[in-house]
Amino acid sequence: MTTRSQKAAASGRSDPWRFLAGDGAVAFLMILPAAILFCLFYLWPFVNGFWLSLHNWDGFSDPTWAGLSNYQRLLHDRIFLGALRNNLIFVVAVVLLKNVLGLGLALLLDRALVGRAFFRAAAFVPVTMSFVAVGLLWSWIYNPVFGLLNGALDLFGLGGLKRSWLGDADIALYSIIVVDVWKWLGFHAVIYLAGLQTIPSELYESAKMDGAGPLQRFRHITVPMMMPIIFINTILGLSGAFVRNFDIVYVLTKGGPNHATEVVLTYMMSKAFQEGAMSYAAAIGYVLFLIVGLASVGLLALMRRQRLDV
Amino acid sequence: MSGAAEPVLSHDAGAARRPRRLGARGLLEVAGIYAALALVLIETLYPLLWVLFGSLKTKEEMLSNIWGPPSSLVLQNYADAWRIAGMGSRIVSSVLVTGSALVILVVVATPCAYALARLRFPGRGLVLAVAVAAMLVPPQVMAIPLFMVARDLGLINNRLGVAFVYAATSLPLSVFILRSFFVTLPADLEDAARVDGASRLEILIHIMLPLVRPGVALILIFGFIEIWNDFFLAFLLLRDPSVQTIPLGLVSFFQQYDSLWTLYFAALTITTLPVIVVFLAMQRQFIAGLTAGAVKG
Repeated sequence: MTTRSQKAAASGRSDPWRFLAGDGAVAFLMILPAAILFCLFYLWPFVNGFWLSLHNWDGFSDPTWAGLSNYQRLLHDRIFLGALRNNLIFVVAVVLLKNVLGLGLALLLDRALVGRAFFRAAAFVPVTMSFVAVGLLWSWIYNPVFGLLNGALDLFGLGGLKRSWLGDADIALYSIIVVDVWKWLGFHAVIYLAGLQTIPSELYESAKMDGAGPLQRFRHITVPMMMPIIFINTILGLSGAFVRNFDIVYVLTKGGPNHATEVVLTYMMSKAFQEGAMSYAAAIGYVLFLIVGLASVGLLALMRRQRLDV
Repeated sequence: MSGAAEPVLSHDAGAARRPRRLGARGLLEVAGIYAALALVLIETLYPLLWVLFGSLKTKEEMLSNIWGPPSSLVLQNYADAWRIAGMGSRIVSSVLVTGSALVILVVVATPCAYALARLRFPGRGLVLAVAVAAMLVPPQVMAIPLFMVARDLGLINNRLGVAFVYAATSLPLSVFILRSFFVTLPADLEDAARVDGASRLEILIHIMLPLVRPGVALILIFGFIEIWNDFFLAFLLLRDPSVQTIPLGLVSFFQQYDSLWTLYFAALTITTLPVIVVFLAMQRQFIAGLTAGAVKG
């Protein structure tokens, strides 16, 4: 097929395959492999999942029509609603912390005259680690008996603060949030640092001459100039926080104790593979998709209103 | 343009000038900055060092000497961890899955990105819109139907099949990144080659591809980190222990032998250190690529 269209392209007007000859046929062939891959593993599951969520199916016997009943059941599923709440707490906390700490770290790195590259690389190392490695490392840090964290508290005479960091239902979710922020902090800081370095120093110089203090310069120069970068970091953090928390939660707590750290994906996976409720799990996936989609669209609309073309 | 480029650089230059005027207050400020950075350094690197230390201690020393470096090097931990965790076959699986997925990804994404960037054809806007929309749909939310599709296609426990799934999930972002590299290339190059009678495919392979090598490197780096480290899709699609990748192997090793900490730390070191070394070796390109994509938008 390729040779035919190439010949057609080469020989020009008299060729009967002329309609295939232009860029159209070449483009079609060049996009075809991507389109096949996309249809098989994106489009088909996406459509199939919706169909599945409207039926009752355990994955083996004959599916029966269920209408919207799976979605209605979700509204009264207390574990699901708890998982959704945990997921939202996770998203808000993680996005806030990554942005505030990331910008803070970037400001420090921007001021470091000697060894900036070294500090930047060091801060980036956890980003390259797998969630599994990070999770297993932190499960030892949090270990109530031998763990690094309780050991450090003892060392500084703060033994009273010792906790079972992942076993206590009141704080386990926040312990996981700390791990996620630890892993991604360097990533966001590096993006902020690159943004900071595009701000012309003349702006700071003239503000200084006008008598603006460091805080005023930060508020009136750094923050407005960094708005596009803040949005990029928020979008990156947002999509990650919604759907990339399965690994870390599974490794650290598996959603326990007593669903205290259950997030939507861990609940979906346990419904599907421990209880065989495939269509119910598919409905959970769709609700999550809807929430992520709405959040992204909302943020993009906000960006457009702020005239931030990123 | 020369006037516009100067201020960007002079921010650094301005920072570099500052030490000359350092008073007592300035010194204090610099000391504060370095103290804060040192804290970040400890918080980031000490846990990793701790794992390395732990992997070289005896089990008894783990308890008596929690913080410091090992008093002697127990390399036997590594041999035991390798054997018990079945590290060899896991590494083979990870290399096989990640390697094939990256090859598929580049072969499929490059012509697609080229066509979207350089060719005029009906439906181009639609294809581009689909690619952008797909970036907003994380594959994780489709895990259940994806599992069923993979089962229908006979891809469960099939490492090459899973590589196709990984390539598909990395495809939208990769096409988008590569397209932005193709768009920046001057049209003259291509026109000259067309006059010489080269086909589009020849132009792509011989002229354009060498010029977008940084873009290909970028999608390879992103893809590598993503796929090599992935737990979720592997957990979903590779159920048989004999085909499982490193992250799955680590988790099951941890769950079965959670009292063998020293071996555990050794296994963690074996799997984490190579990636960190690769990153440190090419961090310049890595961070440059990352920030170029994000800051330019």
